[in-house]
Amino acid sequence: MAALRKGFIDTGKIAPVLPALALADFSLKSRTGFKGSGAASWLAAQGLVLPDDPNQACTDAQGRMVARLSWGEFLLLGDFAGLEKAWSYESAPMCFPLPRQDSHAWIVVSGEVAPKMMAKICGIDLRPQVFPKGAIAQTSVARLNAIIIADQIGGRGGFHLLSDGSTSQYLWDCLVDAMLEFEGAPVRSEALSKETHGQTDAQG
Amino acid sequence: MKIMNCPLNGPRNISEFAYGGEVKPVPAADAPTPDWADYVYYHDNQPGIVREWWLHVPTSYWFVAVRDVTSDKIIATYRPEEAPP
Repeated sequence: MAALRKGFIDTGKIAPVLPALALADFSLKSRTGFKGSGAASWLAAQGLVLPDDPNQACTDAQGRMVARLSWGEFLLLGDFAGLEKAWSYESAPMCFPLPRQDSHAWIVVSGEVAPKMMAKICGIDLRPQVFPKGAIAQTSVARLNAIIIADQIGGRGGFHLLSDGSTSQYLWDCLVDAMLEFEGAPVRSEALSKETHGQTDAQG
Repeated sequence: MKIMNCPLNGPRNISEFAYGGEVKPVPAADAPTPDWADYVYYHDNQPGIVREWWLHVPTSYWFVAVRDVTSDKIIATYRPEEAPP
């Protein structure tokens, strides 16, 4: 029987149609990670294409995202259950699982005006000309530590935000407040997930 | 806002960093207690250019900064596994 998952966030009122700036809670979707000096070589041996440098992300043929957070730390967004099953202490030297499902909330912001909105709560320049698709910033967002990944979400520019689950309601409320002046609003994750990570909520 | 260059993440606001003490050699595991007490509790605290441990908090990444503690100017930062500049 599949394990039941509970979200971190009370999303509040959901917009019936997709607004120009949208916010969605992806926390029920699958994600995991691996860390260690042997992580890159083991993941590559499993057939994953890895970004060459830290703070870069790439998307595979199935729409899953591989984010390289440092020389030896990887965040995997999407269904990587096969990798988790393949891992063992003996078969993956100096490579250790770093589960993210229960530690980090996954919030998505989508819309061309998203960098302008994020500038209110984050000190990093997230405009697409300096922070293109696949760029990662691990920084402070609304005074919380967060991972920001630029991507095309729902057919337009946007960001994945991963932040501590225990403070995710605060972050969500800050984002909802910040997007008010841009007429942004929360939407259901299905509204943005068709082109993202090749999975549905039922799978995740 | 003061800016520090993190070797992993690039330039970031100083508010994202935490100070971790002077860089000094770790005594051997069987070193005398006074040596360990000196390592844990005492600091040179001299003016001039010093090497210090700093932490980029959002990534829990430790690195070394070369800083002039008289002028509070950060001269260089580098990965701990690299040779000092």
